[in-house]
Amino acid sequence: MNAVFFLLFSWGMVRARSHRQVLALALVGVTGAAVVAQPSITYAQGMIGAITSILNLINGSIHTALSGINSVRTAMSNLYQVVAFPTQLINQARAQVTGITNQFRNPMRSIFNISLTSATLPETQALESVMRNGQIGDFNTLTSNYHSVFGLPLSSTAASPQDQAMVDMDDALAKDNLKTLKEIDAAGQTMLQMADQIEDTASTAAPGSAPFLTATAVATSIQNQALTQKMIAAELRQMAGRLAHSNALRKRGTTYTNQFGGSIQQMLQPR
Amino acid sequence: MKEKLRELRQSAPQSIAKGFRWAWAHKLRIAVLAVVFVLITPRPAKTQFLDPCCAIMQAGLASISSALSHVIGGGLNSVLSTDQAIHNFQQSVVWPQALITQAQGMVGTLRGLFSQTESLIHTPVASATLPSTQQLESILLSRNAIQIPNMTSIYTAVYGPVPGQANAPQSVRNMIDMSDAVAQDAMKRAISIDNLADLELQAASQINQSIQTAAPGSAPIIEAQADAWLVRSNAYTQAALADLMRVQAVDLASAGAGIKTGATNASSLQQKIQQMLQPR
Repeated sequence: MNAVFFLLFSWGMVRARSHRQVLALALVGVTGAAVVAQPSITYAQGMIGAITSILNLINGSIHTALSGINSVRTAMSNLYQVVAFPTQLINQARAQVTGITNQFRNPMRSIFNISLTSATLPETQALESVMRNGQIGDFNTLTSNYHSVFGLPLSSTAASPQDQAMVDMDDALAKDNLKTLKEIDAAGQTMLQMADQIEDTASTAAPGSAPFLTATAVATSIQNQALTQKMIAAELRQMAGRLAHSNALRKRGTTYTNQFGGSIQQMLQPR
Repeated sequence: MKEKLRELRQSAPQSIAKGFRWAWAHKLRIAVLAVVFVLITPRPAKTQFLDPCCAIMQAGLASISSALSHVIGGGLNSVLSTDQAIHNFQQSVVWPQALITQAQGMVGTLRGLFSQTESLIHTPVASATLPSTQQLESILLSRNAIQIPNMTSIYTAVYGPVPGQANAPQSVRNMIDMSDAVAQDAMKRAISIDNLADLELQAASQINQSIQTAAPGSAPIIEAQADAWLVRSNAYTQAALADLMRVQAVDLASAGAGIKTGATNASSLQQKIQQMLQPR
């Protein structure tokens, strides 16, 4: 392109016949050459434009995006610190746990530990004491104290085998339950210790450690529920024994009635 | 051909001289041609110091660098410092490792108490002294539901069978059979609920073991399972309470029925005595 232009221009310069034509051609040539040289200027202008657009991109979109991200992160930080886990409320909750503990634990413990013993005679006092002591190592003492209050098992000479069996079963169920209650009393003390420990730990817990406490509290509740079931099972045995006993008496009543009727009929028969 | 070449060789110096003369005579034209030639000649490689484009590029790159440092770098630093603040807050306030370890340690202590409770309530309590009652008591306290089918015969051995048709009126037999049935139901329920309670204690112990090794994020999952177990346990308790209420209801009904039977028997006896005392 440049070569063709230069050849044409040279041909025109050589063939020019007057100074005017030479001047006109020189003007055309220089202007044309300037036009031919334009791309480098355009190139420089293009580079400035590209740099400007990059700067605009950085100062515009990227700056806006980063500002937006920062705003969101700041908002999240505020959400955590002000709404979700405000330190002040966390401390307040801990203080509340401590306050409730201080307010209720000891008074409740005092109420719970008030002596309920009411027996007045030596034998009954001994039995009552061993029944309520919450220990599991003195079952033999309980048995002997029980018999000293409620009598010894019937001997084979003193009662029929059925009476012996029923009385023995009644005594067994009663003693079983008294022993079970001693176990439950002891377990209840352990439960209270567990509750105290969970509460004490809660007073210093963090939001992230509290789930451990709630989970273990639920597990302890299951255990507690199992103990309640053990008590209900004992109560069921006792009530069933009581019903079975009264029913056995009814059975015997029918036997006696039949025997009595038979005897009367025999007596009234003419001899 | 040789002649032409020879002629050309002879005329070349003359032509060159003529050209120079023409150029000397047209200096302006040659100057214009030179200027135009210079203008349109392809440029050599740009130098760092003389080319204006390099200066423009240098200034542009400096601006970009400055913008990157201040706008992007500054923005990223702000994001980083906010993230660090969040991280510190979560580490020191929300999930402090020391308190998590303390809670896990407390769970371990409770496991010890769990075992203590289990051994407490498994202390033998059997008290019967006669062979038949010992057998019945052994099944009642077995905490083993497999033993339930063995109970009926031993119950009958201790409390007697239902009277035969010849030995008691049907109403009395019904009453006796119902009372026996409910008493045996209650005893069977007692065995099953004891068994269930043992299993619940085992499950509670295992759940507590899982809690001890859990993470703060996984503990709620275990807690959910423990909650489910608690719900289940409550249902079992309710079933046991229902049987307790049934046995109490039948006990009450049985007492009422005794009065009814007594009244009927008294009336019947009165009639029979009157019949006996009437003159024949």
